[in-house]
Amino acid sequence: MKEIKNPMGNVYVSHRAISTIAHQSAIESYGVVGLAAKNFAEGIAQSIVKDPTMGVDVKYDGQCIEIDLYIIVEYGTRIKMVAESVSNNVRYRVEKTIGIPVDKVNVHIRALRISDTD
Amino acid sequence: MNQEVKTITSVDGQLFKQLIEAGLNWLRTNQQLVNSLNVFPVPDGDTGTNMLLTMQAAYNEIQNSGEKKVSKIAHAIAQGALMGARGNSGVILSQIWRGFSRALDNIDSMSVIDFSNALSEAKTTAYKGVVRPVEGTILTVAKDVSSASAEIIKETDDLEKFLEYIVNAADVSVQNTPELLPILKQAGVVDSGGKGFFFILEGFLKFLRGESLETATAKLVQPIALMNGDDMEEIEPGQDYEVIVDFRPTNPLNLDNFYADLTEMGTSIQVGEGDGMYRMHIHVPTENRYLPIDYTMKLGTITKVYMENLIDQMEQKEADQQKQLNLIPVEPGQIAVVVVSPGFGLSQIFASLGAAAIVQGGQTMNPSTEEILHSFENLPTDKIIILPNNKNIFLASKSAKEATVKHVEILPSKTIPQGLSAMLRLDPFGEIDEIFEEMKEAITEVDTGEITVATRSVEINGVNVKEGEAIALFNSELIASTPSIESACFEILKRVDMNERERLTLFYGSDITKQEVNLIIDHIREKYPQFEIEIHEGGQPHYQFIIAIE
Repeated sequence: MKEIKNPMGNVYVSHRAISTIAHQSAIESYGVVGLAAKNFAEGIAQSIVKDPTMGVDVKYDGQCIEIDLYIIVEYGTRIKMVAESVSNNVRYRVEKTIGIPVDKVNVHIRALRISDTD
Repeated sequence: MNQEVKTITSVDGQLFKQLIEAGLNWLRTNQQLVNSLNVFPVPDGDTGTNMLLTMQAAYNEIQNSGEKKVSKIAHAIAQGALMGARGNSGVILSQIWRGFSRALDNIDSMSVIDFSNALSEAKTTAYKGVVRPVEGTILTVAKDVSSASAEIIKETDDLEKFLEYIVNAADVSVQNTPELLPILKQAGVVDSGGKGFFFILEGFLKFLRGESLETATAKLVQPIALMNGDDMEEIEPGQDYEVIVDFRPTNPLNLDNFYADLTEMGTSIQVGEGDGMYRMHIHVPTENRYLPIDYTMKLGTITKVYMENLIDQMEQKEADQQKQLNLIPVEPGQIAVVVVSPGFGLSQIFASLGAAAIVQGGQTMNPSTEEILHSFENLPTDKIIILPNNKNIFLASKSAKEATVKHVEILPSKTIPQGLSAMLRLDPFGEIDEIFEEMKEAITEVDTGEITVATRSVEINGVNVKEGEAIALFNSELIASTPSIESACFEILKRVDMNERERLTLFYGSDITKQEVNLIIDHIREKYPQFEIEIHEGGQPHYQFIIAIE
């Protein structure tokens, strides 16, 4: 839980809220065709309910946010660039909407999707 | 003029190559314009550059190809674009070419119908690369171009008419992007990636019409093997020009005679051979500079000539050397300060205050973690304080700190004046923790004014910024947008607490002349006689003035 101090009182932002924002901005990033379950348990849970935070892990140590993304990338794109842009995108959106600095965005390429063969 | 116009109805590999080259050149001509379509008033966009580098990588794959089949050329382009994709827009562009080339499989020469199919496949492939496509971007433009192409092929098979129609559609689509993407509308710009794609297509059309692309189509490719960068040879008398000629001799070359003839003209002769081609390298005095070319022309066909004025180059290098910094050497155990500085003049000032290493960088050119790390590793001490002097460089500094085993402290200096103020507290022989605290305190003792020119109209912090106006930032906050640099200076001075501050130091940038500076300073002196004023050449790009107020 992250707390933002404010003269009118405090605002608390949950990990889940941050994850949802990260998830949404990740799938709007070019080259990302999906997010992958980060572990087996999540994979099973995902098959039961649709989770808007899947493939995102948020850590908060009291000062900084660290985000882990587990993504599936389109085959035939330059993966390094896709990873860079998704990381920038997520950082920008999270920082802009919540106003808390993001220390790290770690991108894990879990799979490639082949939709066409050349 | 009533010339007979030949209608072109199909595109083979070589014509496609020329179209791509034209698209590339036209994009290059308009690169800065595309770069300027960023969403903040301070220039820091690089979409144009990224797209250009992607297209350049694509073109490099086909540059020397004589392939006639359009399918082969298109595949090579797709491959090059993929490998060279830079940035988000570059990745999307590479997907567009990938789809485009796939539709041309086994096609030797494409008709406008094939062209339209390829654009359709390009759109489909580009859209497949993302789960939730954002409209109002290059994707939308690719989609609109594809639909337009499907309409026009019903009416004509003339390539020029076809291109004219789709370029027009691309233009309309680009103009419409702010309606689809609110962030563009707020910033008052069109989408930069979409605009870049438009320029590529417009380049195709301009080529067909024989219009100027404002860049020389003939491009000198530097003969890499013969350029040895840093170690420049001493120039002896009679070696004024370096001449390199690539040629294909009509008859087998008699190397002995060839050498003998060349020896009469100049020195440093080298001849290389490969695949029936020869490359000849020679240094000659000025009056002989055309002799080797005339001479080889008699022997066969010249394919490329490269000539360089060595004297001028040498003078340039000497001038550069004079611009070297005198950094203070550090002994092991001492505290070393690494400074990030955007301009040469500022670097010199930092050096004179005791900086041990300078990393080039600032608002528009953030240094990489590697560059910063490198500066840490090169210092003979393990106690280092870094002055990022810009908020955007904090993160790279932090990553570099994590990557080194040395004791590094990052001073949170957001501006150049804060950095300079901190430098004055440096004692290389002190305890790093104490010195660091002192420097941190010094940051708060200075106000910073910055003046730059807005690259577009936008509203921020309630300030209405107009493109081309001078904008004033006081302690990194945008405070005013005014018609002139001078009035921006006064806006900043209005914010200054006259009881606390008594000294102004102005660092002027590379975008303003000394005369303009003097005029502005005179007016400031007139209006604020109580200030002690100093002026230095900062050499920073984009910012006309950086002002330290102490």
